[in-house]
Parts: sequence; C-alpha cells; structure tokens
Amino acid sequence: MPKVTLHKGGAVFEDEVADNSNLVVRAGIRKFPYPNLAYRCGMGKCATCSSRILSGAEHLPPPNWKEKKMLGERLEDGYRLICQLWITHDLELAQDE
Amino acid sequence: MSQQPMNPDELRTALETAIRGKSANKAPFSIAWASGQLSRAHLARWAENHYHYVGPFADYLACIYARMPDRYTEAKDFLLQNMFEEEIGGDRHTDLLIRFAEACGTTRERVEDPDNMTATTRGLQSWCYSVAMREDPIVAVAGLVVGLESQVPSIYRKQTPTLRSKYGFTDEEVEFFDLHIVSDEIHGERGYQIVLEHARTVELQQRCLKICEIGAQMRLLYTTALYWDYVAKDIPMSEIEAIGGGVPRDERHLVQA
Repeated sequence: MPKVTLHKGGAVFEDEVADNSNLVVRAGIRKFPYPNLAYRCGMGKCATCSSRILSGAEHLPPPNWKEKKMLGERLEDGYRLICQLWITHDLELAQDE
Repeated sequence: MSQQPMNPDELRTALETAIRGKSANKAPFSIAWASGQLSRAHLARWAENHYHYVGPFADYLACIYARMPDRYTEAKDFLLQNMFEEEIGGDRHTDLLIRFAEACGTTRERVEDPDNMTATTRGLQSWCYSVAMREDPIVAVAGLVVGLESQVPSIYRKQTPTLRSKYGFTDEEVEFFDLHIVSDEIHGERGYQIVLEHARTVELQQRCLKICEIGAQMRLLYTTALYWDYVAKDIPMSEIEAIGGGVPRDERHLVQA
C-alpha cells in the first residue's frame, strides 16, 4: 500500500492508502488526509487542492490538460492538482496554507 | 425470536449485492457504448435523455435535505455539499453534459427541451422525485445516492476511455464523465456511510435494500429503453449479445421492450 506524507502548516500527516487511491476522494469520504488536505471542486477547476510534490513524482502520470491549464508554470515547480491523481506509489507532498 | 438488525459490514455487503444484481453496465446500450458501436447521433440522444434524469439531481437532494432530521447534521451537510458540487462548485455539471451533447451534434435547446426525452426517462425522473419527496430520508439516500449515484464511477470508468479512443472525442468534450469518476465516488461512499450509520432497525434496513434494488432496476430499464428507442434499428440485439458480457438469462425480462 502506498504511504502518503502530507506537509501542511508546519505539521506532517502520514498514513497508508489503498493502491490506486485518489486523495481528494479519500478526503471527501472523511478518511486520511481529511481534514488536512484542502480541496473544493474535485474536478480540476479551482486548484484548491494544488500541492507541491516533494518525492514520488516520477511515479505519477504526466500532467493532464486540466493541470496544464490551471497550474501553468507552477508545474515546473513541482505542483500538481491532487484531485487528478490516482496514487500507486509512495508520495510526499506539501500544501501551501 | 425477533430478527436482529445487520451490523454495518453486513448491511454494506447486502446493499452492494442488491445493486450489483441489476447493474446498468449490463444494459445493451451500455454494452454497445463500451464496445464502440454507437454513432454520435446515438450518443446525442443519450445526452438529451440523460439531462432530464441528472439535471434535477440537486432538486432531488434538496427535497431529502428539507426532510432529513435536524439532528443528522453530517447527513444534512453531505446533501448540501453534494448539491453545491452539482451546481456551483466548479462548472455546472449539466453544462458539461451539454458540451458533450454539442460535440455529438445536438444543441443546448434540444437537450433542455423535455419533449426530447423518452417516456421511460420521464418515468425515471418522476421516480427520483417521488423517492425524494415521499420516502423516509435515509431510505431516499439509499435509493438515489447509493442505488443510483454510486453506480456512476464504475459505468463511466468503463465508458470514458472508449469515448476518447473509439469515438475520437477530446478531453474537454468528455469532461462530464471524468469529473463524475471523482465526485460520484465521494458522493456514493458518503451515501453508504449515512445509510450504514442511520439505518439501524430491521425494518429500515429492509426498506433501504429494497429501494436500492428498485433504483438499480430503474436505471437499467432507463438505459435499456435508450437501446430500444434509438439503437435497436441500427444494431440488433443478436450483435449486442455476440459482443459478450450480456444480460444473464434470469434478468432478460428487465431489458425487453
């Protein structure tokens, strides 16, 4: 099971998730990383869930059209839209306050 | 000896079984869709009908919300969140459905016109309103959210890649389907949580199971009617059955016109 580490507001939250999990779906059903992952629309339109990937980015699929549209140059800084990602490997991410 | 209510794990399994038996994935329209056999005109007719089934979803939820006991705060908040996400959380979901419909060659006017839905679609819409307005609110969540909405991710997960690879739609044209894989997974699971928490008597559990079964059956009938009304003249049932994965013999009465 992939291990997910979320850095948020100076704290670190960590847990294992089932293979092929979407962290926004999990937060939506009140499981880790709820209540610490900020998200809103769940459809790649608001960028509330955007987070910087600290490690594990190599296992993620390339950014899709929504991520390119919403994040633009921030993609180069390692940001991704978490609602668009299904996690299959360990992932460490940081979400801005 | 009086019957004991199921524990949450047992109830969940029973609900999943009630839904699985009548999954809309088994409908001939869904099979033809997944195998890439539909034309854009067929998909346009689907969109014109689907709008009238899912378009009022926030209405259905609002009726349940108003009747949900005030002490069930989490359940009420979930319904409100679900309504928000359907309508104003990002893009309005029906606008994305209309974008897909336009890519299929129809128009917003045709999609919004209720005269373009079949009698069966009108029946499904009416059933949804009836459940939302008349059933115990926990039973209504079981019927509409668990029985219907929770089926969507598995249906669209099967159909969306096909829309790109076999039908040639662009990512933007099929966004309606992509977003539902995320949002309906949340909504379906939260629906389960509400039912498992609040259906704690044998009588209420049995009503939840029954309405899930009926809801899944209603959706299967709706999807099947789309096949008979729009597709059967172009793709005979024998071809659908030849694709494999058709409807089991004991459920065929549900998909006959």
